[in-house]
Amino acid sequence: MIQVTNLQKIYNGITVLDIPELNISQGESFGLVGNNGAGKTTFFRLILDLIEASQGGVTIENEKVMRNDDWKIKVGSFLDEGFLIDFLTPEEYFAFVGKLYNKSEGDISTSLESLKDFFNTEILGSKKLIRDFSKGNQKKIGIAAALLGDPKVLILDEPFTALDPSSQIRLKRFLNELQENQKITMLISSHDLNHVTEVCKRIVILEKGHIVKDLKTDRDTLKELENYFAV
Amino acid sequence: MIVFDLVKQEWKKGFRSQGFYKNLAVNILLVFLSLYFAGLLLLIGFSLDNILEEADKTLNPMELFNGALIYILLAGLTIRFFLQQLNTINLPPYQVLPLKRSLLVNFLLIKPLFSPVNYFQLFVVVPFAIQSVSGYYGNAVAVRFVLLCIMLMWFNSLMASFLKRKFGSSLFIIVGILIIAAISALEFFKIFSFFNVSKLIFTYITLRPFGLVLLLLAVAGAYLLNRLFFAQNFYPEKFNEKIKSENNIKANLSFLNRFGIIGEIISVELKLILRHKRTKSILYMSGFFLLYGLIFYTQDVYLHNNSFLFFVAMFVTGLLMFMFGQWVISWDSSHFDSIMTKNISVRTYLNANYYMLIAFNLLCFVLTTPYFLFGPIIIKMHIAAFIFNTGINTFLFMFLSTYNTKRIDLSKSSAMNYQGTTFKSFLIVIPVMFLPMLIVGALSPFLSISAILWILTGLGLSGLLFRRQLLTLCVNQFNNRKYKLAEGFRQAD
Repeated sequence: MIQVTNLQKIYNGITVLDIPELNISQGESFGLVGNNGAGKTTFFRLILDLIEASQGGVTIENEKVMRNDDWKIKVGSFLDEGFLIDFLTPEEYFAFVGKLYNKSEGDISTSLESLKDFFNTEILGSKKLIRDFSKGNQKKIGIAAALLGDPKVLILDEPFTALDPSSQIRLKRFLNELQENQKITMLISSHDLNHVTEVCKRIVILEKGHIVKDLKTDRDTLKELENYFAV
Repeated sequence: MIVFDLVKQEWKKGFRSQGFYKNLAVNILLVFLSLYFAGLLLLIGFSLDNILEEADKTLNPMELFNGALIYILLAGLTIRFFLQQLNTINLPPYQVLPLKRSLLVNFLLIKPLFSPVNYFQLFVVVPFAIQSVSGYYGNAVAVRFVLLCIMLMWFNSLMASFLKRKFGSSLFIIVGILIIAAISALEFFKIFSFFNVSKLIFTYITLRPFGLVLLLLAVAGAYLLNRLFFAQNFYPEKFNEKIKSENNIKANLSFLNRFGIIGEIISVELKLILRHKRTKSILYMSGFFLLYGLIFYTQDVYLHNNSFLFFVAMFVTGLLMFMFGQWVISWDSSHFDSIMTKNISVRTYLNANYYMLIAFNLLCFVLTTPYFLFGPIIIKMHIAAFIFNTGINTFLFMFLSTYNTKRIDLSKSSAMNYQGTTFKSFLIVIPVMFLPMLIVGALSPFLSISAILWILTGLGLSGLLFRRQLLTLCVNQFNNRKYKLAEGFRQAD
């Protein structure tokens, strides 16, 4: 599904990311963990063609992402607030995004209906602009918009931070359902080792731009991760 | 005095902001611009005496000036309401310190009075007072005259910030313009002369030493109104924000839905313009600029200068494009990642911007049709300028706007905001604005103006004809610049 070959990103002579090879297959839930500056967000931005690779590249379903538009319809993503259009109301934003992915108004309201629990009545119908919402609610809006186009690939950067405890649990349940029912390929980065082991079947540890561990999640994974990160 | 510490910290905030040094070139340019205006105002100041002596035989220049003061005052208030930013300080760090509320309020109120822009008027007032007023009434009155002008400025500034905080809607600008129009009409039809009233009051004030006390009372009154407002709106969070209106959310742009994805993108861009202070004030300002033609089309000097006339024609018929054109991409900077990762192809995105610019041009062209009354040459100029703008300049703007890589934070403040403006932004305008003017100027000795206009129209039409190819050029350019844009937009300053 997603193929990374010889990918390098160099800023001012410093290699911040160097991944010789990585394959993420269809339906896989891929977790990315690492300390600050390990290159998680850089990696995601490279997959989304938001920064230029110094070398190598990424393909999604054998299509190069670089300077290409065709992969966009398959991918839903939310990394930070830059992925929102903050002067729109959530409804306007969802309608806009839905249109981009050829969804009818009916499709959009069905999708939003399924997210009703996650939104917890705070988001829809409030007539507020997105910029006036709290960080946590903005995150919910962003995640919802990423899912709106029924993507084959979902990319989320630290989806659990800034969410309240109930929303974290709901999001986890929701992501697990998505995997089981729709076989979505998921790429999720997180600082929270608990959450990421609960959601992802495969976990990769990134350190200083290199992949240092590539684990299949089982009962001992959490322990292993904790040991790795313990100072 | 703690107030001085606050002032000092505000200064540091200015000088230590990252943008200050990065934007040194722009700042230097702005300094030159203000020197230029200062010179211009000085020129007016020194010639005002002569002008007013000529203008009326029965009244002396100061009486004439005082008569006009009521209009200056009202116009000033309206313009201030529109342009003057509400002074804010970054409150949270101060709120937790043991500072008195009244100190913060005073600081908010009084700081704008020290803004140098306010004292530019002295370039006109002081020479006039020395040349004219002191000759008629002596030095003491001349000094009082200068003080009068300064205090009226204080009064205006305080009133403007009060009205802005209290009413906070742009409706007031319209009310202000209506009031000025109404009293001008009363004046014009000789029903009631505010000119005489204003002349009587202000001359009275200037001639008597205690007149200044009256003025001080007026300034104090305006100050107290502000204090009263803050007393009623107790919580500091309210200082900074004028009352938020939810009206703008209602804007119905659903008619654009018919045009598919491109229509959707345009409707988002229009919402962007309508929902940010900064863009909205540019929109209002454009309204004033539409009248630009009146200055030039009415003067014989310019009517024989074809290249200049074409420049004006191009400016008014493409006004909105000139105002917004080079920002079409950077205004999306805060949600650029969204546009790049959602299912919008670069071509669609640029196409939407292209059609939006064309719509702007069409609108401006229609709005400026009253200028057709100035004769057939203006009609020809406007049509040629419109076609040239639409065919060529739209693409020039889209192509060149990819060089504006600085993040623009639209949510921050409103008019006269140069954040995100770099030297490049000025360079971009040069070819777009002056190239056609140069073409007209260069061809003028050899060809008739009609022939030149046909050439420009032809260029414009070929731009329309080859729009697909030109758009492809812009798409390639965008793809080349894409990563630079995304990176620049991600850096907040």
